Amino acid sequence: METAIDFNHILLFKTNISSNKGKQRLHSILDKHPAVQCWNIDMEDSDYVLRIISETLSHTQIIEIINHHGYQCCELT
Amino acid sequence: MRLRNTDKEELVKQKAIELIIKDGLEGFSMNKLARACNISVATPYIYYKDRDDLIMKVAMEELRVMEEAFIKDFDPEEPFEQGLRKQWENRYRYARENPGMNQFFDQLRSSSYQEEFLSGFMTGFISAMTRFMHNITARGEIETMPFEVYWSIAFGTLYNLIRFDMEGKSLAGKPFKMTDEILWKAFDLVVKSLKK
Repeated sequence: METAIDFNHILLFKTNISSNKGKQRLHSILDKHPAVQCWNIDMEDSDYVLRIISETLSHTQIIEIINHHGYQCCELT
Repeated sequence: MRLRNTDKEELVKQKAIELIIKDGLEGFSMNKLARACNISVATPYIYYKDRDDLIMKVAMEELRVMEEAFIKDFDPEEPFEQGLRKQWENRYRYARENPGMNQFFDQLRSSSYQEEFLSGFMTGFISAMTRFMHNITARGEIETMPFEVYWSIAFGTLYNLIRFDMEGKSLAGKPFKMTDEILWKAFDLVVKSLKK
């Protein structure tokens, strides 16, 4: 449940994932990732904000995964 | 350590409403919202998944507030005139205490959120109003008429007067200020036109 989330487990990133193809790619990476509780990307925002809820992953680990698939990704501050 | 900051959460919500009233839904973005609140772009995303999630949650919360205000001390079993008077009182008070909210809901009604918005629209309130209309029709206090006709006559006048009052003018820029006398005179006329 969204309301029961520990705010420390919300990881936010600015990306350049602006296309549906990119979003599909995220599905294939994140949907089955065992450490990702849930995720979404705000395609309507100019920062294409990726929001991930995970109890164990760090910002750095996510950035590495996304970069590895050819997309830019940095922590949203 | 990130802690829930209810002040900040409330600020995000209030500014979101303000921006939507001012610029409409089209011009509304999380980026703009963060700038208006003077907080980091990330903050709204702590409370809301994305722009849509924010709009829907804020709207639902505000609808609950409105519903509570509308049904306060309203008894659908009351006779027609008393019941309608209570509705006028409640709706007028809500409009006074929440200026701009009508515009906010209008923005949503005329948007792609409409379906979702209306499907969650105040079920308790709707059933109370439906019950009230059923009762007054069954008791023969008013003519049988389509709900939309009843609603337009019962509340159209009130909402128009509220709009004139909010804008401070009526037609062709004529200055207008609502008074109790005007409000209840209009009410009497509405009652007269609906009563059998």
